Amino acid sequence: MTTLTQHKAVAPGKSIIEKLNVFTALALGVISSIVVWRLALAFLPEDAEGARLFSREDKITLLSMCAWFVGFMTGIGALVGPFRWLMGKDLSHSENMFLAGENMGPKRYLRYTTDHKVVGIQYLFITILIFFLGGGMAMLIRTNLGTPEGGWLHPQAYNSIVGTHGILMIVGTIIMVTGPFGNFIMPIMIGARDMAFPRLNALSFWLIVAAAVPLIWGQFIGGITTGWSAYNPLAGQAPLGMDGYIMYICIFALSTMVAGANITTTVVKMRAKGMTWNRTPIFIYGVVASVALALPAFPVFFLSQILSAFDRALDTSFYNVAGGGSGWLYENLFWIMGHPEVYVILIPAVAALMEMAPVFTRRPLFSFNVAVLGIAGISGLSVLVWAHHMYISGWAPLLNAPFMLTTELISIPTGMLFLVLVGTLWRGRIWMTMPLMSIMALLWNFMIGGVTGIYLSDVPADAFLHGSMYVTAHFHYTLMGAGLTGALASLVYWFPKMTGRMFDKRLSWISFWMVQIGFNVAFIGMFMVGLAGQPRRVEAYAPTFNTANLVTTIGAYTIMIGMLVLLHGVISSARNGVKAPKNPWQAKTLEWTVDYPIPLENFDVLPVVTSDAYGYGKAKS
Amino acid sequence: MTNLMTPKSPQWWKKDDVKKTFILWILCTAVIGYVGVEFHVRNMVDPASETMSGVISLMRVFTWAAAPVAGLVSAICLTVLTSKRHYGDNPPAEADHEIRNSPKTAAVWVVVSGIMCLFALVAGLIVLQHDNEAVLDSQAIQVNVTGQQWVWNFDYANGARSEDLYLPVNKPVVFHITSVDVKHSFWVVQMGIKMDANPGYTTEAAVTPNKIGVFDVRCAELCGLLHAYMQTKVHVVSQADYDAWLSAHGATEAGA
Repeated sequence: MTTLTQHKAVAPGKSIIEKLNVFTALALGVISSIVVWRLALAFLPEDAEGARLFSREDKITLLSMCAWFVGFMTGIGALVGPFRWLMGKDLSHSENMFLAGENMGPKRYLRYTTDHKVVGIQYLFITILIFFLGGGMAMLIRTNLGTPEGGWLHPQAYNSIVGTHGILMIVGTIIMVTGPFGNFIMPIMIGARDMAFPRLNALSFWLIVAAAVPLIWGQFIGGITTGWSAYNPLAGQAPLGMDGYIMYICIFALSTMVAGANITTTVVKMRAKGMTWNRTPIFIYGVVASVALALPAFPVFFLSQILSAFDRALDTSFYNVAGGGSGWLYENLFWIMGHPEVYVILIPAVAALMEMAPVFTRRPLFSFNVAVLGIAGISGLSVLVWAHHMYISGWAPLLNAPFMLTTELISIPTGMLFLVLVGTLWRGRIWMTMPLMSIMALLWNFMIGGVTGIYLSDVPADAFLHGSMYVTAHFHYTLMGAGLTGALASLVYWFPKMTGRMFDKRLSWISFWMVQIGFNVAFIGMFMVGLAGQPRRVEAYAPTFNTANLVTTIGAYTIMIGMLVLLHGVISSARNGVKAPKNPWQAKTLEWTVDYPIPLENFDVLPVVTSDAYGYGKAKS
Repeated sequence: MTNLMTPKSPQWWKKDDVKKTFILWILCTAVIGYVGVEFHVRNMVDPASETMSGVISLMRVFTWAAAPVAGLVSAICLTVLTSKRHYGDNPPAEADHEIRNSPKTAAVWVVVSGIMCLFALVAGLIVLQHDNEAVLDSQAIQVNVTGQQWVWNFDYANGARSEDLYLPVNKPVVFHITSVDVKHSFWVVQMGIKMDANPGYTTEAAVTPNKIGVFDVRCAELCGLLHAYMQTKVHVVSQADYDAWLSAHGATEAGA
């Protein structure tokens, strides 16, 4: 195995996989969707007279999008391996080396590359892109809400921007930690040469790219006017853009399932010798809990959208009351995914900060076992709480009390995570860096998000607060205030390992304070209008809400500037930052034991682990 | 735990940073509790029903119950941030101790959060039980609420129909809520009740308005293009005015 890296790249200009890259994928995707579109236009029968729904356009749209998907995945080379297997063969060694991106330079980032470090950088790139687009949409929303009468955006455009912002950000936050850092850092941290299934790893990334196009496509054919939750029957009467949402979710769910299986297997089977579960870094637990939660959640999401597509295109009645279906079915399916999903987002971000806490306080992680228990407790309970999103839907009032119980129980394991973080800070040697302050920011934001969550978990209080801006502010506090803060700290913390250069300290501070102050200003304002009675997802509101909305808009612009400073920091530091030493933070996890640039299979000799990674602190004399 | 002690100060509660944290804890708890309660109560609408008053007092109670926890976290963060900080590109010296856990602390933490969780649950259940019973009141005024894109329609027992809701003060009312197209959510803001209007189903909500005045009904579930404009007013009037309004409207409806 150690001689693998000495092999030459493939013989020149032979294999099909050498010719495939993102451009062939785009070309094949576009061509096949156009072909299928024309064929469907020509051959699909007209809707019957008096049909309940006009489903022909939906059929054509969905078929064209499927064709795009198949064409893109074929063009990127995802099918080469499976096709070889069908013929009873496999990829040759040199082809595997080519796929791993050996000696290829920057081109490997545009290919179906299997090296986990390349996939990590690809994920980082697409996460930044998603935040750029989703953040831009947030700015459009906030600009429109700067004045009470709205009208700057057309209501349909506004609704579509709200829905697209939501679903883009949900996907962005799901992948923001497990994507870049789960792929780049995690295998090195556990002392593995790569992921368990490198080709599945590449597949999970390119599926996200394939998914993004139908979402953008949907913007031009009516938009996603239903909010990110796409409740039926509203989604049933929504324009064709809804088909873009459906395809986006289905393909993204595939990506999540693939990544989940891959990461879980990697962590279970490929940890270095001696890395027992007690010695496995807490970040690994966070990543595994996140993707393991996604494993039951996303198949249900996938299913809910397939049924939605059937209702639209084939005139079935899963969610259509007139035909015997029920909107409550959709709500249940959606939130069975939707509630574990917020912890899919949150857990790895908190775990990443737990990983950084000992490094920046120079003392051991406080109560490792409690941390693991907290993560496990949240994961276990989170699949039992979904109907708290449906307290006032009227679906099952008798179940409100049990769901209130499970929801409030989650505060116990969540409290454990707080205990671990404050326990680690206590009497530590505080090293003032952006990641250390991010821990403080997480504690503050997550405290507000958590306490407001208790109000919302209470049925009578929820009867007032549900569907108001209060809820919007609450989940932004958890997903953005806690989740994104963890992801940004991870970026600064692991930047030296991923790029070989230090993240510009000054820029990291400027961006940190602008984002955190802007964030708190923006969402405190949003709590205020929610309490005063402003519903969510409105493009106009009563004039009495104007002041607080304006405050929120100003806060939002501050966040935007802070995030642009961060983006500038990423680009400038990656190009001309200070060269990073091997272990700039003097941390004890394995990823800091490899040199930059990290060789193809990470370690020449696989490490043997003899203790956990938190052995800071002088022994007591 | 024994390892919290050092030879210098045999009792952990006499250490400077513990004392400092304790004082900060009390201060932070007071500030967070007071500001949190005021923030919620001042921003929330003036209640026009017992239900809404109940919501406001629940928020008050929950905020004060959460304040000591939030206060402790804040106090520890403040103590840590005001202790010696290290700036620079290289790490500071490692901490003096290597406490890896403290089962007692963890146990206390879990037990306390369990008790608070139980408290929140019981407090919520009591109010919930009260709300649920109200729906079964057969003496109450019955109003059928129908949502459609993008208006509300109210049907009264005598056949009257309106787009503004009229209710007598201090009389219990039960709403039977449904929709003719997509999902809406019937929210009487100042009365603190909300219930989804589902096509094909009828759901119930109950309230007793206790204040004469004009209040807001808004749709709280995205229902398409003009969701933001799907609002109307509820006029809470005296029993005499209500009867007059009802007979006038019932008659015109019947005559039409």
